[in-house]
Amino acid sequence: MSQIEWTTELEIGIGVIDGQHRRIVDYINTLDDVSRIPDRETVGRVIGDLIDYTYSHFAFEEALMEEAGYEYLSVHQNTHKSFCERIEHFRKKFDEGEEVAESLAELLRTWLINHIMSDDESYAGLVKEKMPRIENQNQGTWLSSAVKRFFTH
Amino acid sequence: MALIEWTEDLNTGIQVIDNQHQRIVEYINKLAHAQENHSRAEVGGVLDELVDYTLSHFAFEESLMEESGYAYINAHKKVHQLFVKRVADYQQRFKMGEEITEELLNTLRAWLINHIKNDDQDYSGDVLHNMQQVSHRKDGWLKRSLNKFFG
Repeated sequence: MSQIEWTTELEIGIGVIDGQHRRIVDYINTLDDVSRIPDRETVGRVIGDLIDYTYSHFAFEEALMEEAGYEYLSVHQNTHKSFCERIEHFRKKFDEGEEVAESLAELLRTWLINHIMSDDESYAGLVKEKMPRIENQNQGTWLSSAVKRFFTH
Repeated sequence: MALIEWTEDLNTGIQVIDNQHQRIVEYINKLAHAQENHSRAEVGGVLDELVDYTLSHFAFEESLMEESGYAYINAHKKVHQLFVKRVADYQQRFKMGEEITEELLNTLRAWLINHIKNDDQDYSGDVLHNMQQVSHRKDGWLKRSLNKFFG
């Protein structure tokens, strides 16, 4: 089983969303790691954390799309919804004692990469256009680099 | 159960926010202690305090974001709302007599750390920039906001 390696191809250019996707990728890689150890408690915790985080990410992403007036919002929401149902199904099977970690990691890997590279790419441009960031408009990257320089100890 | 240790990478660079986040971490660690003491009354008390403080923190943080014109404020608020609902569900289950503390602690730790490291980092540049402007105004906006939400 392979790990996902984060590449710039997976970036959609909205920093906060890219950060969330990266975190989901980390969770999927962790799930893949723990699927090989016979520790149901750890596997259960990683599955729970991954699902929680994914829900939070979907809420954030849908709110951005809604605000930017993305015309395929409802289609995108349905994709999220059916994906949530699929992972909940895995969680249920896990709770019933089945070994699901490896197949769940496989599903997530395929789904997430396709979703980022096609569906998410399609709303990113609109969000950047309709909801420009102040720091991008005025200071370019100067502000964020200055912040890091002066305030991160 | 491991306690959360505050590390540099949890700092957003906004002192007032970092202090509040540290306080939330202290509450989570206090909850872990109460759980170790097997005291339902203590767990219930800390849980109420934690929820109360977190709600004030979210309201304060959202007002900072709003004041700074942070573009993704509504998306950020949605994530807060989802979390508040999730914790309220745990609180409800706890009051009904369920044993949820271990699961809640896992959720709190994972959620808070992920949220601070990514979503909060994202607004920090805008908020810091605005706070520098606000401090020139010397009209006590920050102090008033703190009093409003925590006073």
